[in-house]
Amino acid sequence: MTERKRIAAIITQYFRGSHADVLVGKFLDGFPTDDGLLPPRVDIVSMYIDQFTETDIGREVAREHDVPIYHSIPGALTLGGDELAVDGVLLIGEHGDYAWNEKDQHLFPRRYFMEQICGVMATSGRGVPIFNDKHLSYNWYDCQWMCVRALSLGAELMAGSSVPVAWRNPWVEHDKGVDLQESLAVGFSGLDIYGFHTLEVLQCMVERRHGGESGVDAVTCFEGEAVWKAAEQGVWSYELAEAACRAIENKPEGSMEEHCQNPALFSIEYSDGLKGSVLMLNGYVTDLAYATRHKGGTVESSEFYCQGHGGNGVHAHFSYLGLNIEEMFVTGHPSYPIERTLLTSGILEAALTSRHEGYRRLETDWLDVAYESYDRLSWRPTGPRPMGACLDPWPPKT
Amino acid sequence: MAERKKIAAIVSEYRPRSHADVIVSKFLRGFPTDEGWINPRVEIASIHFDQPGNSDLGREMAAAHDVPIFDIMIDALTLGGEKLAVDGVLSICEHGKYAWSEKEQYLYPRRHFIEQICGVMSTSGRAVPIFNDKHLSYNWPDAKWMYDRTQELGAPFMAGSSVPLMWRNPWLEHDGDELKETVTIGFHGLETYGIHALEPMQAMVERRKGGETGVSAVTCLEGAEVWEAAKRGEWSRELLQTAWNAITEKPEGLIEKLSPEPALFLIEYCDGLKSAVIILQRGIVSDWAYAAQNVSGDVMATEFNHFRGLDPMQIANAHFSYLGLNIEEMFLTGAPAYPVERTLLTSGILVAAMDSRYAGHQRLETDWLSTIEYDSYRELRWRPTSPHPTGASIEVWER
Repeated sequence: MTERKRIAAIITQYFRGSHADVLVGKFLDGFPTDDGLLPPRVDIVSMYIDQFTETDIGREVAREHDVPIYHSIPGALTLGGDELAVDGVLLIGEHGDYAWNEKDQHLFPRRYFMEQICGVMATSGRGVPIFNDKHLSYNWYDCQWMCVRALSLGAELMAGSSVPVAWRNPWVEHDKGVDLQESLAVGFSGLDIYGFHTLEVLQCMVERRHGGESGVDAVTCFEGEAVWKAAEQGVWSYELAEAACRAIENKPEGSMEEHCQNPALFSIEYSDGLKGSVLMLNGYVTDLAYATRHKGGTVESSEFYCQGHGGNGVHAHFSYLGLNIEEMFVTGHPSYPIERTLLTSGILEAALTSRHEGYRRLETDWLDVAYESYDRLSWRPTGPRPMGACLDPWPPKT
Repeated sequence: MAERKKIAAIVSEYRPRSHADVIVSKFLRGFPTDEGWINPRVEIASIHFDQPGNSDLGREMAAAHDVPIFDIMIDALTLGGEKLAVDGVLSICEHGKYAWSEKEQYLYPRRHFIEQICGVMSTSGRAVPIFNDKHLSYNWPDAKWMYDRTQELGAPFMAGSSVPLMWRNPWLEHDGDELKETVTIGFHGLETYGIHALEPMQAMVERRKGGETGVSAVTCLEGAEVWEAAKRGEWSRELLQTAWNAITEKPEGLIEKLSPEPALFLIEYCDGLKSAVIILQRGIVSDWAYAAQNVSGDVMATEFNHFRGLDPMQIANAHFSYLGLNIEEMFLTGAPAYPVERTLLTSGILVAAMDSRYAGHQRLETDWLSTIEYDSYRELRWRPTSPHPTGASIEVWER
């Protein structure tokens, strides 16, 4: 048996239900899936936690699993030595007490973490796979820097949301090369924190269209009454929104307008003419969904169901995210392209800039991100709802 | 009496003789100067350590002066509340366990500190003065970002090294001189101390006729090639000798023999001025020196010296008193004591020099530094004017 890959976890805060908990916890205790509890194939060998607060469980978890916590990022990557001593890195810069800016972006230090990680790789002459949780950075220059820096060192890179690998009900996966006319994703919660998840739902679907992804020409944010007006003006398709919401099981009776007092919309003009929309419907839904109209006119929609949203569930969609990351750690190949998250990070920033600048249409010539989707994804649920080990008590009884 | 301005100290680590110690400790206890002990006119209201593991002195100082320590950086700025609650910020990110780059740059998270600080200011609708210790960042886009971001928010901004505020022997200060060429002597690590040599150089040349108009190219040379380049006339060996002669404490002998393998930054200014900064090998000198030749052929030089006459643990490092007093002046008046553009430019030159070195000591054209134009200060209120430290500057500092 070959030696197991050693993984460092670089974390902002580690509390119950945090991304560190739902992701690193599975790398430690196993991945509950619809097909059973899958034991980890790699070892978490070090942690760095940027902020210890009263709700911290990272120290206790690390102690229970004999994982040393280092007081610096280079320490965790070198295991206290002088050179890189791990085979992969989980960068989880979600949650924590960090500043915000005037665009309502939370200034998580993901770029700073990536800089330190890449510094150690650069001086060690060896790049190893890195997973960056959620979007890359809150600003485009840093997003691009993070990708270029890591890739130039030979480090493979994955990033993004767990929602693309959540349960789809009904099962919808576009064949590569599909002809799409317009697509829309529905989400809820904060524009920065969950706008990102909703963008990733949209992008993981539309990237499979004919010609592959070719980038985004312009982004506009709408908010409040202007969102409904924009539908009347044909900026986004009410029909698709209804189709997406129909796929969401858990929602109140009545229309979206009745329940959602302050909707928001990101209108995305793709370079190849595809129209994309992210519709945030706070007060109406607490799940995410996608709908599209094919060139022939057929409408298709699916709910992207996450387990235990807002609660303390197992969050087993993070099992599938973790398994895809683990696959990269084991094989050295990203399970899906980093460009997806480079693009969604850029769209999110553009949308929030549009909003900050009076909801103006922002031409985004820098978002000329072209890439192709995956051919096959090893780890994903294909049923409509979590089942099997996803429903077992957590942590698993040993 | 009006309430004293509240200052947050955001530091990487706070141990004896660290930059946090030599700066923040003076804001807590007072500034020893040639003219005596000067009490702080502002109040350190909060401290945050990015790496608390090596900050015992910081904890002791905080306890002794009743300053709350905040584990979370932004809490030190809001004093635990929702909005900015201080009137100024010391951002001191020097020392600590951080990564290096393949270009042998120390990746201090100064940009991260300023980003968080500016974030709090932006959401609080109020910008207050910030001091960033040493250079802005190890890379140009970040250095420029730090500058642009503080400007955008209207936060008065100072940065840089304490060396320009050291004792000058003999007194030399340009006043619209038409300079042709300069040579500055520095020592120690290329990046960590390169900035300490670039800053006194820039503090001098920015006062030339026409003010600062930017840099068009930078080259880093190393080893015997430095001396070969002098022979080819690429920089002035004679001016180096003039600068060397200004250094009081130095070994006997030919510089080429004492430091056969130095490094050199060659800086080509847009207005034709040529400056060389030579970084001598470790252990040869511990002071800096500057020499210049003007267009008439007159040559002038000065040493930038500091006190070393006691056990290092007992030295006050009083040049940091003058640095601190200038920063404090900004906290009080809202006007930087000298332009931050100086440090924007020296940061950029340092980045370019390290890039040149990494690219095989190539000459690097620096378009992005060619637009940095600024005027030097008119007067500097806080500075030593005697040739060597005296008075409280050389008294024992208890740590």
